[in-house]
Amino acid sequence: MKTSILIVEDLWKRYAQTDAVRGLTFEISKGEFFGLLGPNGAGKTTTIGLLSGLIEPTRGHISIAGVDLFSRPMEAKARIGLVPQSFALYPSLCTRDNLVFFGRIYGLKGRRLKERMTRVLEIVELTDRANQTVATFSNGMKRRLNIAVGLLHEPEILILDEPTVGVDPQSRNAILESIHSLNQSGVTVLYTTHHIEEAQHLCDRVAIIDQGKIIALDSPARLIRDFGKGMVCMEFNAGIADQLLDQMKRIGHVRVVDDQRRKIHIETNGIDEASRELLELMKARDGLIKTLDIAEPNLETVFIHLTGRNLRD
Amino acid sequence: MIYQILAITLKELKVLWFDREALALLFAMPMFFILVMSFALEGVFQAGSKGHPIEILAVHRNGGPIAARTIADLKRIEGLILIETDNGIPLTSDKAEQLVGKGAHSLALVFPEGYTEQVLKTSKVSQEEKATVYLISDPAMNLQLLAAVKGAIQGAIERQVLFAGIPQQLKEIFGTLEGMEGQLDNMLGDTNVGERESSGVDFIHTFPKGFNVSRRPTATEQNVPAYTIFGVFFIVLTLASSFLQEKKDGTFQRILAAPLCKTALLIGKLLPYYLVNLIQIGLMFGIGVVVFGIRLGHLPALVIVSLALAAAANGLGLLVAALGKTEPQVNALSVLLAITLSALGGMMVPTFIMPDLMKTLSLFTPHAWALAGYHDVIVRGLGVKDILTEMLVLFGFASLFFIIALWRFRFDE
Repeated sequence: MKTSILIVEDLWKRYAQTDAVRGLTFEISKGEFFGLLGPNGAGKTTTIGLLSGLIEPTRGHISIAGVDLFSRPMEAKARIGLVPQSFALYPSLCTRDNLVFFGRIYGLKGRRLKERMTRVLEIVELTDRANQTVATFSNGMKRRLNIAVGLLHEPEILILDEPTVGVDPQSRNAILESIHSLNQSGVTVLYTTHHIEEAQHLCDRVAIIDQGKIIALDSPARLIRDFGKGMVCMEFNAGIADQLLDQMKRIGHVRVVDDQRRKIHIETNGIDEASRELLELMKARDGLIKTLDIAEPNLETVFIHLTGRNLRD
Repeated sequence: MIYQILAITLKELKVLWFDREALALLFAMPMFFILVMSFALEGVFQAGSKGHPIEILAVHRNGGPIAARTIADLKRIEGLILIETDNGIPLTSDKAEQLVGKGAHSLALVFPEGYTEQVLKTSKVSQEEKATVYLISDPAMNLQLLAAVKGAIQGAIERQVLFAGIPQQLKEIFGTLEGMEGQLDNMLGDTNVGERESSGVDFIHTFPKGFNVSRRPTATEQNVPAYTIFGVFFIVLTLASSFLQEKKDGTFQRILAAPLCKTALLIGKLLPYYLVNLIQIGLMFGIGVVVFGIRLGHLPALVIVSLALAAAANGLGLLVAALGKTEPQVNALSVLLAITLSALGGMMVPTFIMPDLMKTLSLFTPHAWALAGYHDVIVRGLGVKDILTEMLVLFGFASLFFIIALWRFRFDE
């Protein structure tokens, strides 16, 4: 039986009249790579704030490696490694000074601190930049150092809040690889993103979050199998007529996204055939199509299927 | 916890070390003020020399010959200019007081009507009937300079009073010698002197009507503590900006995510700025001693005032950090407080020449209490027990600022 590192029960957070987080309940097992996938504003960052003890919940319980986060915050926090979305580094200090400071905050000192600094710099491949001022770093290097800081005290769970925001594709791949390696070496990872590819390729399980609620939770493969359909997303230069809409409905499940009938999603199990039929249908209506996206079943189409909206909306 | 506090303190000092603008603001600015303002006021220290003569309004029209001779005596002193008329009209006592009160002149020497007669008959009359000379001075006038002028005037008065008494003394010595009286009378001319003592004149130093002045600081004694206090409160901007920057960069949240209590975080954040304040104060007074030769007075008392002052400044910094949500807000609030409280607290204009309302308002600034504390120590030579009130008020300000700041401070923003 797998040990749960993180247990979240009926977690709520209310701001004024808005519930940012609505009754989240999930568990993360030791060594698992768990993804929290949702659009901007879905409540991911608030959830991270709650899980890392930065935000007081309105109600609910969080347990980190068996320690209740709210009754024993110091013990619980020592078990969490947080990699926030912002760089959260001191740009005027060098890499080493940043690590020394954050290491000390977590109670590391002397030889142990040195050993851990050496190790995390190796993991994020910044050993040769130890004495370089952070202000001179590229965004990719800052992201890597951000991760190094989170790993410094050997947390039982590493929480990463969109750790690839604002980096070039090459750095992004390097970051994803290092996180994957960390997970392979036994580090439990909670990862938030709105990039479906990242969630799909890295995560053992994904919780799809929307408007503060988990709307689906399973492995990416199962989610795609259960909810994912091929999808054609079309945008038109003018609102489409009833006749055309009826013809489209024969091809797949049509969802009209806007009131003017300028945007539609067509879900289908046979994306190749549906695409062919649609193009045939549109031949006689030259100039009507503004944009056309054809998507194989993936977490994005799962999200669209579940919410009727795009992850990037 | 102490280990973590020290870690935050060390980090903060390092970050501050690399923030040249902040350091310039904290150290160069008050140093600049002390140096520039003190050199600008150099004339005050050199006043009384041939190149910088002191003007004294002289009122003696009805004072008689002894008053006139005293004025003539003073005119012979290099560095003094005696002015006896205003627009060609001989000065009166009221006019002279009015001119000093308006700040048009710094000093007025007034010999009242019947001065000579009073001097000559003083010796055998009661103290209340002694001859009197009034020196009216501008309260803002440098004290050392004033002392020198007073000495010169007193010297001239005593000399003339003494000369006036010589014939009588000679009469007493030779009066019994028969036949000498006539010769003596011829020698002394028609001077008709009565008996008097050399100390028979009251020299009263006063201020124009409406001023309420006790012990006043010298320009340097005023400048060094005042600009030091002014500079100390610039920590408000640096400190508040530091909190805002940490929140903006996310480092504040990262620290809060660590197993560290909020108290330790705040102490760790404030401690370096408190230390910087103390270093600032040490440096400023160091310049005061080395460059301008001011005397610091009772050191333990000075340290106590400094500790309380730095606490108040840090408290205000935390308060601004709690109230300011954006960089422009923090900047505006810090500068507004720094300038307004400094002006109100007597950093730019001494409170003793402020109108009563301003004087009352100044009591609501930590600046005024800090300055009063420093003046008690430096100018009045008082000790620890004499500055306890100032210390308590300053720590009271600090506590008030901290309490409001902690009430308003949002850790989760």
